Amino acid sequence: MKAKKLVTLTLAAAMVAASSVSVFAAELTDTDSTGQTEVKAHISGNAGNVSYIITIPDVIDFGELTQPADNTTDHFKDVNYEVKATKIDGLDAQTQSINVYVRDQNASVGGVDDFFITNKNNANLSFEYSVFNTTDPDSSSALNDNNMLQAVGYNLHSFDTEGDTMTGVLRFNQNNIYGYDITQIAGDYSGYMVFFSTIENK
Amino acid sequence: MVLVIIIIACFASAAVLFFFQKGEEQPPEKSKGVVGTISDNWDTNVSDPEESEEKRPGTQIPGYSSAVMKSGDTTLKLRIGNPKDNHVGMFAKLKLADGTVLYESPLLKPGQGLEEVPLNKTLDKGEYEAIVEYNCVLLEDGTTPLNSAESGFRLYVD
Repeated sequence: MKAKKLVTLTLAAAMVAASSVSVFAAELTDTDSTGQTEVKAHISGNAGNVSYIITIPDVIDFGELTQPADNTTDHFKDVNYEVKATKIDGLDAQTQSINVYVRDQNASVGGVDDFFITNKNNANLSFEYSVFNTTDPDSSSALNDNNMLQAVGYNLHSFDTEGDTMTGVLRFNQNNIYGYDITQIAGDYSGYMVFFSTIENK
Repeated sequence: MVLVIIIIACFASAAVLFFFQKGEEQPPEKSKGVVGTISDNWDTNVSDPEESEEKRPGTQIPGYSSAVMKSGDTTLKLRIGNPKDNHVGMFAKLKLADGTVLYESPLLKPGQGLEEVPLNKTLDKGEYEAIVEYNCVLLEDGTTPLNSAESGFRLYVD
């Protein structure tokens, strides 16, 4: 009888040990925010939570750039990109919008504020490209035709409706590489854009 | 003798069960800060589950309206993470507009994030312009940079 009791106790102990691992794991993966109530009383129901999701292009590929035979006419290579307000939660669309700005990763106000792609093996080889927030670059000016006035970047688009998508164009004028010794500039190039978003009053 | 065998069998079963469970539930990665836990099934809580079924092009970046804490707090309730639909890695950095860095995360894979952020320093009472920087990288190597994003919001310290 004593032996039976001991076995029962041992089995119970083993079960407790096993289930405590599950509880521990469940606690770690709990996604409920416990701060919501406190925050609601102070500012708004969304403080500390995700209020919106913006989808940005992770990479934009100009593909293969070709050195033109002349530079008397433009030789544009255009690539479309999209920025989308994938989700908006609790925005007062009458008075507020989500404003998105864009800049080159190395841009600064009052300094160099254009967009560049740079040779991956030679940082001294950089070529400028233009960013448009429309799909008709021939009849509009590029964002970087103007000076960048804010550190967060050029004003790209304002969103106030979930699902809204802005389609723009990145334009590389292949005349930029005209006249170079192709063996000196050949290689892979990359440039990085930084998208800044914030909720602002209209 | 039989009793000893039964006890050994019980402990062996418990050990096997423990290791199996450990394999299924990955322990969370500790953040660089003093406290704070990165969970493996972090979600923005605003994603549409139906839309989440397929992986779409582009990288989802969480944005915020505001956050609140008390002066002297060493943590901030702020949902920082990499939405599960993404196919890139992210390094998240919480900072003030003046450049003061409050928190830097390790690599966050899709679906990983924090509910509460450990802070490198406490803040005095006031209103601050704060930013969460999301530096995106190729998931395959965790280092090749991609386009990045910043979410600006107002931080209120009581």
